[in-house]
Amino acid sequence: MRGFSTVLVERGDLATGTTGRFHGLLHSGGRYVVKDPKAAEECYAENVVLRRIAADCIEDTGGLFVTTPADDPGYADRFLQSCAATGIPAEEIPAAEALRREPRLNPRISRAIIVPDATVDAWKTVWTTARSATEHGAQILTYHQVVDMTRDGDTVTGAVVRDRSGAEVRIRAEITINATGAWAGQIAAMAGCEVKVLPGKGIMVATNHRLVNMCVNRCEMPGDGDIIVPIRTVSVIGTTDVQVADPDDWPITRAEIDEMITAGEALVPGFREARTLRVWGGVRPLFQDDAPAETRDVTRAHAVLDHKTRDGVAGLVTITGGKFCTYRLMAQDAVDAACKALGTSRPCHTADEPLPDSQDQSFYHISSRLAGRERTLHADQLICECELVRRGRLVAEIERREVPPSLDDIRRALRLGMGPCQGGFCMYRATGILHEERHLSAAAADDAMLDFLQERWKGVQPLLHGDQLRQAWLDDWIFQGVLDVEHLPHVEPAPADAPAGHDVPSRVQLPAQERKSARERRAAGQRGSGQQRPARSQKRTQP
Amino acid sequence: MTTTWEAAELIRGSLDHCVKCTICESACPVAAVTPLFPGPKYVGPQAERFRTHEPSVDASLDYCSSCGICTLVCPQGVHVAEINSQARQKMKSQRGISLRDQLISRTPVQGKLGTPIAPLANAVLANKVARLITEYVIGIHRNAPVPKFAGRTFQRWARRRPASATAGTDKVVYFHGCSTNYFEPGLGEKTVAVLEHNGFSVVIPPQECCGLPLQSNGIFDTGRSYVRRLVRNLAPYARQGYKIVATSTSCGLMLKREAIEILGVDDNDLRLVSEHTYDICEFLADLDAAGRLRTDFGPVPMTVTYHAPCQQQGHNIGKPALDLFDLIPELKVVELDRACCGIAGTYGLKREKYEIAMKVGSGLFSDIRGAHPDAAVCDSETCRWQITHGTGATSVHPVEILHRAYGLA
Amino acid sequence: MTEIDRRTADVVVVGAGLAGLTAAIRLAEAGLRVVTVAKGLGSIRLSPATIDILGYGPDLVHEPARELQGFLSAHPGHPYSLVSPVQLAASVQWLKEHTDGTAYVGDPDANMLLPTALGVPRPSAVVPETMAAGDIRKSRSVAVAGFSVLKDFQPDLAAENLQAAAAALGFGMTVRPLHLNTRVNGEADVSSLALARRLEDTAFRNAVAAELTAGLRDEDAVGLPAVLGLDQAASVWSDLQAMVGRPVFEIPTVPPSAPGMRLAKVLQDRLRHAGGRLVLGSEVVGAEVQGGQLAGVRVKTAARQLAWMCRWVVLATGGFASGGLAVDLSGAVSETALGLPVSGPPPDEPLFLPRYLDEHPMGSVGLKVDPLLRPLAYDGEPVHPNLYAAGAVIGGARPAREKSGDGISLSTGYLAAGIILQEAG
Repeated sequence: MRGFSTVLVERGDLATGTTGRFHGLLHSGGRYVVKDPKAAEECYAENVVLRRIAADCIEDTGGLFVTTPADDPGYADRFLQSCAATGIPAEEIPAAEALRREPRLNPRISRAIIVPDATVDAWKTVWTTARSATEHGAQILTYHQVVDMTRDGDTVTGAVVRDRSGAEVRIRAEITINATGAWAGQIAAMAGCEVKVLPGKGIMVATNHRLVNMCVNRCEMPGDGDIIVPIRTVSVIGTTDVQVADPDDWPITRAEIDEMITAGEALVPGFREARTLRVWGGVRPLFQDDAPAETRDVTRAHAVLDHKTRDGVAGLVTITGGKFCTYRLMAQDAVDAACKALGTSRPCHTADEPLPDSQDQSFYHISSRLAGRERTLHADQLICECELVRRGRLVAEIERREVPPSLDDIRRALRLGMGPCQGGFCMYRATGILHEERHLSAAAADDAMLDFLQERWKGVQPLLHGDQLRQAWLDDWIFQGVLDVEHLPHVEPAPADAPAGHDVPSRVQLPAQERKSARERRAAGQRGSGQQRPARSQKRTQP
Repeated sequence: MTTTWEAAELIRGSLDHCVKCTICESACPVAAVTPLFPGPKYVGPQAERFRTHEPSVDASLDYCSSCGICTLVCPQGVHVAEINSQARQKMKSQRGISLRDQLISRTPVQGKLGTPIAPLANAVLANKVARLITEYVIGIHRNAPVPKFAGRTFQRWARRRPASATAGTDKVVYFHGCSTNYFEPGLGEKTVAVLEHNGFSVVIPPQECCGLPLQSNGIFDTGRSYVRRLVRNLAPYARQGYKIVATSTSCGLMLKREAIEILGVDDNDLRLVSEHTYDICEFLADLDAAGRLRTDFGPVPMTVTYHAPCQQQGHNIGKPALDLFDLIPELKVVELDRACCGIAGTYGLKREKYEIAMKVGSGLFSDIRGAHPDAAVCDSETCRWQITHGTGATSVHPVEILHRAYGLA
Repeated sequence: MTEIDRRTADVVVVGAGLAGLTAAIRLAEAGLRVVTVAKGLGSIRLSPATIDILGYGPDLVHEPARELQGFLSAHPGHPYSLVSPVQLAASVQWLKEHTDGTAYVGDPDANMLLPTALGVPRPSAVVPETMAAGDIRKSRSVAVAGFSVLKDFQPDLAAENLQAAAAALGFGMTVRPLHLNTRVNGEADVSSLALARRLEDTAFRNAVAAELTAGLRDEDAVGLPAVLGLDQAASVWSDLQAMVGRPVFEIPTVPPSAPGMRLAKVLQDRLRHAGGRLVLGSEVVGAEVQGGQLAGVRVKTAARQLAWMCRWVVLATGGFASGGLAVDLSGAVSETALGLPVSGPPPDEPLFLPRYLDEHPMGSVGLKVDPLLRPLAYDGEPVHPNLYAAGAVIGGARPAREKSGDGISLSTGYLAAGIILQEAG
């Protein structure tokens, strides 16, 4: 937008790092208002901006802060005072009114405060932003992994990236912006700079349907599992905060899952019996200059690092830390820093120019797909029934990309496979359509399907029980009993240095030793026991 | 006496059991004949994930006939039909309810207006021109099988009937329903005779409509007040432990389950009445299982077909009528296996749904015609009218066969 | 206080799947009064309706009857060890006799290799005649035709996979995809069932045959998704075959399954004609025990509970997919109808493994039964002397992997009925 010729590289699909892995809460700022008013103010300001520029990606659910019997009732007063002081709209309503609006809430809540929380579809936001960027002339290269930064003396001159086929591409740039979040340290290291980012892992559990229609927060100091977010067709309870060493390798433990479900029960009685679809996690990028004890205390504000000043390395700016709701501000700050480094001054317009599809500033509504399907009931096929994805949209998405997308790419773009059946019914259809539309070989199509099967299994397996177990059995019946997927003729052996990817935990967490050896086995190209065909692990490239 | 969210969540929350298996949509009689209805899985547990309190967006939901077969066949326990009914009520409350739907769902109003002028009313309803006008103005299809007013009410007969010689001390309460009251009082008389023959003293309290047609048409608040009024009349007997028998199998189901599950009426009296309500064939078959049914049946040299209406299946008691027929000499019974006759209460009366209803019932009609029965037996009155309309065959309630077999005619 | 009504029967069968219906029909035809209670309909209607005896053990099985012995040595505790080869063969014969409307061909002596909708040759021993011509050992050159309105069958993918898979198994085939664009009332999204009903209409069928014939060359046979009619499948299939002038075979695909519904209807009709009763929406919520025996089962009805009092009970409620077995959040496994003892995997084993295609310990969980198919308590004794189990509720098998589910259900359902009939004298 500011007139620079720009290339963006991303090692995976867009938003596969942290952005696509959070619960979708667009903060009003209330969560931080007592503990960190500055961060809260920043959040709220951006909340307003995003509602203006990205309305189509946002559902105006509103938010509630509620005091449960386990919470300090006095906190609500501090909350209200702090909101008033920072300018965040907050209105207390009687608990009975809150229960009327949200009948599934804990009936013993004593106080309730409405704030302008909302939910945001992260992928939609990212993809629409990318579209805006390309409309302004940017080039976006997904599945291009940075393998090295190039330097000319003390100046970073660009990067070397490797694409999916393994070919290397050298990119020359006057200025490089390292926006890799939790991986920022790894990229900076390639340029000889030090950036200390602590990956703070958080897990989330999605329930099959929306138990609440507003974002519900515990009216307390921020803690684990104190938010339930109604995002699209599910509710998400989150999250935890555990420091991990490697942003690509961390477990999801049974204890964490239990913790989240218990936390959900405190806000919505009966949560424990609700059908849980899957569990997943992401790592927050917590930038630190010093080293405090618990990651939650590390500042949440973002950090723009000019490496010329910090490390004597020109041509490189790092943006890290922060949270989703301030992404636009982070980008603005990062590009401002880049401008400064280049010695120019070009103003930012992202706060004013609406993203494509958001020009009319009407918010997304949960029923929009249902309304849309009413119109196409007889004219188009419904491919993913759970999430109401029709064939026309699927084909458009398949055609849009230069490189044929994986089913997981399609999932992120369209939510295919994200409903109760987790791809059980739509996977076969989508695979066939992908095969047909992009003239893939059957081998490639089969691989896509097997990869997606594994990807869906990954998030379902750790807490499979009850209704979701019945679903998994029925899905197995379809894939193995009816389609006989495990005896497909094609198998692409994973290359010897196939990345281990994110370790998939079983219900009982394997001791670290065993996990490591499993990874080593995979890397050596050996297969697990007891199966006809090699299994597919999620392909995830290492930095 | 309020609707509780627990009741609503019990129904809506059951969508979590849906594994998308397609059993319900493969059994849905409406989806089988028209693409206008996307099927119960679609409009029920699937679409419900996209609905909130905001305005309803999916009009195709209205083609659900509420026959309840989806719930019946769901192996996971999803209350599909009930979810649909509640979603439809919400939609209709937002979009407004037509005059037609207000009219056809208030059977007592029709009854009170039509009974005193029965010959005239029946003549008008049989008149082609009048029906054409009704179709254009109100929206009831010109060929829809509307019943004839009897010109007298069963309640009046009940008040004036002589004390029975055969009645014993065992009391049973008769919930006869609007159709018996206004259209088929003879059925009521036969039911009383059969019960008295078995030594029961039959109590017929003052009573009105259970509210089922109102519920089917999405008029929940009036439906609730109707059923609560009915329950007030019946509860005193339930409290004394008397059983309540119903000859209208759909109205019986309303009291047993639907008023609680769909209307969400949270009422101790209703629960008590519900626990004491029996379909008449269920009641008699239970008697037989306990060795207390009089089995002095004479031969009935008839061939009859038996169609168990969707709502009868919804009682989850099997087909007790067949067990009773087994006891009658010379009676030949052809058990039919079709899902639905199509009428679904008031659904098939409507201009935009009549053709769909006739298509739904076409398999049943041809099965009945093919069997050349002396009578087509069916527990639900609206189904009987539809069956006669679709086949020309006489259609009777199982009690009529028993009545004849007992020689009480 | 809820009153419990009581009705009587000789046998109550819980579950209306293949195992339950087989047992119920056999018992009803022998003159016993049988009531089948089922929470809903399922399994058969969703299945391809082939009777798979044993397909993989873990290698491809060519002759199930002969290879079963070896398989059982390697898989002790498998439900097939409860059934003798003679009984297995008898149950298959029984099914064939009882489905003359759906005409099954094949026998446990040899597996055919039939293509799935993904194009994978799947071993099946006894199949509807409408599918048999798809055996990859028969044809050199095959066309696989899909309907553009039917999203549940992807002919290009199926064709390409099938050719490669056949080659890998040593069968040189050419498989060519075809696309049929015949419209169905202008609808873009037509289910297998809707298409199956439509094909029962002569004019539509003729149009399809014409389009199909125009697209064919000299192929030996042509495969279509399994949509060749519902009630009139036999005539739809033979008619189409005649018009196309070469063998036509159905390829089963994802639910809804027309062949599954055909089989379900045939068996339900048989039960009805034999005087058996099927009560739907009837979830078993408890047992009536009198004098150390199971005297009946209690089911939920619309307003109360109903006790079906009987002499014998056959539990055929299926496994996890049907809800006969369940596992809660803590990992505890339960048998949902009668609360019978059932063990999950040993405590030191996880329930599920990280890779989707692993053999998960949970996969073979189910009831333990004695040689008379009676579920055992933890002490190894039958829970009730007159309670029998059949089908997927019995543990020790991995039906989807082994391709053994139908054979297990059929043979154990058949056997359970036989045991009861012996007792009844």
